Amino acid sequence: MPDIVPRRRILLASATALPLLLATAGCRSSSLFAGPDPLAGRPPLGHNVLTLQAVIASEENMINLYRAAINGDSGTTAQSRTLGPLLAQHEQHLAQLRARLIEPTGTLATPSQTTRPSVSAGGGSASTGPIRVTTAQLRAAEHASAAGLVQQLATVEPALAQLFASIAASDATHVTALAGNGLG
Amino acid sequence: MTASTAVPALQAALAAENAAIFGYGVAGAHLTGNSLAAAEQDWTTHNEARDTLAGMIRQLDTTPAATQAFYQLPFRVHDAASATALAAHLEDGVTRAYLGLVAVSDQQLRRFGALAMQGAAQRAAFWRGSTQAFPGLSTP
Repeated sequence: MPDIVPRRRILLASATALPLLLATAGCRSSSLFAGPDPLAGRPPLGHNVLTLQAVIASEENMINLYRAAINGDSGTTAQSRTLGPLLAQHEQHLAQLRARLIEPTGTLATPSQTTRPSVSAGGGSASTGPIRVTTAQLRAAEHASAAGLVQQLATVEPALAQLFASIAASDATHVTALAGNGLG
Repeated sequence: MTASTAVPALQAALAAENAAIFGYGVAGAHLTGNSLAAAEQDWTTHNEARDTLAGMIRQLDTTPAATQAFYQLPFRVHDAASATALAAHLEDGVTRAYLGLVAVSDQQLRRFGALAMQGAAQRAAFWRGSTQAFPGLSTP
């Protein structure tokens, strides 16, 4: 069986040479495989995700403002009748925004999860005790939200831009409704 | 501005504005007082928007789509209530049309479309008497 020895030598050589080859190659997955290195740590979040997180945080803050206005000292029955439907629409906005947010596992928590959003508006502060939110502050917040969304939609994917534009349009109608035009 | 995607979106917005101009003419005939004044103001706003859009389309070396002689209305308009409902319907159509502009790649055009949506949504809310969570979007 003269061919056994060479074959055995080949097998032995392969078994010893493979680790050596891997060692000289650096054994780095990034040099062996295409794509991101799984050992290199958490990948950065994409622009759409970061923008969406910021918009979600703003929407949560808006909802907190409405709840404070409805439940606070300044809340009256008539005011609640106007604010209630607007609050419900903001809750719909938040649900749709959250539905669009797909974060890879292992990423950092969203800003809305790590920081309790401030309920300040128009110079108010998130101090302890009951927070008084006026209709004028809500109007200012709605106006700022609509303007901010228009700024944000320029650089995100088309479908997300359309959602932002629609929410901005809704916020713009809230500004009018809060002016006492009987909408809502 | 990327003409390949911008022109169809601009033409769609122009068509919606032309339909609104026609529709407000019908609605105005059944309105009086403050409602008529609001309809006339909105009619003027849509005329101005039509001229703006036509100019933008011409800047892209394209001929603006011609106005039709007649537009099919969604329902019969015979009194103030149906005229008011028509005005809200027209503004909803304009809002949807401008939503198409928000999906183009040009950032300035997106902004233009988004701001136009706000105006149309506010007018729709006025005529409807209530706001909506997602103007222009049928299923968000």
